[in-house]
Amino acid sequence: MTYFFIIVYSITLVYFALSERVKKFIVLLAIQGVLLFGIVFFNLSHVALAEFIFILVETILVKSLVIPVFLNKVRKDNGLKRVHETEIPVFYSVIAVTAILMGSFFISNYLHQQNIHTKFFTVAIASAVFGIYFIIIHKSVFSHLVGYLIIENGIFLLSLAVGSDIPMLVNLAVLLDVLMGVLVIGIFVNRVSDRFQSTSIDELAKLKD
Amino acid sequence: MAWIGILSIIITGIIFPGIIGMVKARVGGRKSPSIFQPLSDVIRLFKKVAVYSSTTSVVFRIAPLVYFASVISVLTLIPFAGQKGLISFEGDFVFFAYLLALGKFLMIIAALDTGSGFEGMGANREALYSLLAEPAFFILMGSLALFAGNTSFYNLYHHLHLNTHLSYLTAITAIYVLIYIAMVENSRLPVDDPKTHLELTMVHEVMVLDNSGFDLALIHIASWLKFSLYGTLIANFLLPFSLPHYAQIIFFFIVQVTFAVTVGGLESFKARNKMVKNPQFIVVLSAIAIVAFLTALIITEKFTLN
Repeated sequence: MTYFFIIVYSITLVYFALSERVKKFIVLLAIQGVLLFGIVFFNLSHVALAEFIFILVETILVKSLVIPVFLNKVRKDNGLKRVHETEIPVFYSVIAVTAILMGSFFISNYLHQQNIHTKFFTVAIASAVFGIYFIIIHKSVFSHLVGYLIIENGIFLLSLAVGSDIPMLVNLAVLLDVLMGVLVIGIFVNRVSDRFQSTSIDELAKLKD
Repeated sequence: MAWIGILSIIITGIIFPGIIGMVKARVGGRKSPSIFQPLSDVIRLFKKVAVYSSTTSVVFRIAPLVYFASVISVLTLIPFAGQKGLISFEGDFVFFAYLLALGKFLMIIAALDTGSGFEGMGANREALYSLLAEPAFFILMGSLALFAGNTSFYNLYHHLHLNTHLSYLTAITAIYVLIYIAMVENSRLPVDDPKTHLELTMVHEVMVLDNSGFDLALIHIASWLKFSLYGTLIANFLLPFSLPHYAQIIFFFIVQVTFAVTVGGLESFKARNKMVKNPQFIVVLSAIAIVAFLTALIITEKFTLN
């Protein structure tokens, strides 16, 4: 069942590359949250109950509900509809994400490490690399936030891949970090949009001390 | 049984456009035409004589016949009701794809043969879309061949066992990709709209503008049969070969009608893509087929993951 979620997760990455509507980004992030919930549910049953419940709540509540709802609010407040400003045409982005996925799967295949769960590694690396690519090709601050969350989801999977149980305190800190990051960048998007009537990072190039 | 299969595919092919038209009319709140309306139109075309422009050569005259013949020949390759097609050999799905490509190639050069820049533009688009859809088909069939351990249509379906979550995912992905390849190959929404006659956005319709009468009727029938062909490929996925023959035939018709209703529904609710967005839409099919390929590698344990 874990592979099922992993494969569907990789399909969401393809659709991230294809999508040009901001609303779709948010829906895809929520779907990724649900998929992470599924992955955790079927794989982390051996950890302490409190920690298990915490991680489940983190994925289903925070990643697939709180963050998407907040992003949707930011989207509505700033009237964001379509992404027009990608540096690279979508056609090439789809090819790029496919190449990233294939590369990531093949690397995982050659990693014969007993202490690494390579099944998570496949899509974790792809997600992190694609998140960086997503940030590079987009010029909107909002899209950068989406890219940051894709990387974060990848890192979450990477933490499952290395296998060692992460202490509760570290989990809490990571969750707080993500929430604060999203909140701060969300407010930043609002402020940039209010000031320049656009969320493009080109506007920020002219800023002075 | 192979002959019954070919006959069934032809029957479903004839009613296919009628069902699509009915669904679209019903969804749009209009009174639907008869299910046999497209057939009546084609019979009317058969009674007419084809008119040829003086700029065209023999290529233009033989293209509709070759197109039609290629599709009819392909019917012999498809397994039906758990039985082999009339022709079956290792790697027959490659023959299937290139036989269809031969017909399309002739149609493309026939469009160029008319000497019209307008038809050349349509031919160019058709060639591009076919070129982009081809990797999706081959990667998908390659994945299924890997999964089943065989490279002929019959053995591939025969050894395809849907018994794990991943295999179901592969089947769903394969059906999704096949439905959209059928839409692209038959120039339907969202890539092309057969109803539109706006010059700048036409693809397939512009290619056959110079065809008339008997030739046009052959082209229409070949297009219907192509839909039915892809429907049969999907039906073979869903029907276990262990069922008795009569049950398989009944299920075959149910799957074909469902496929036609799905196409009608998709066409009713989907808007046509902008022309520049078509290539990226089609290349996504290849990307999804690659994901199916990676899944097949995991299922067959070619990938050693822990």
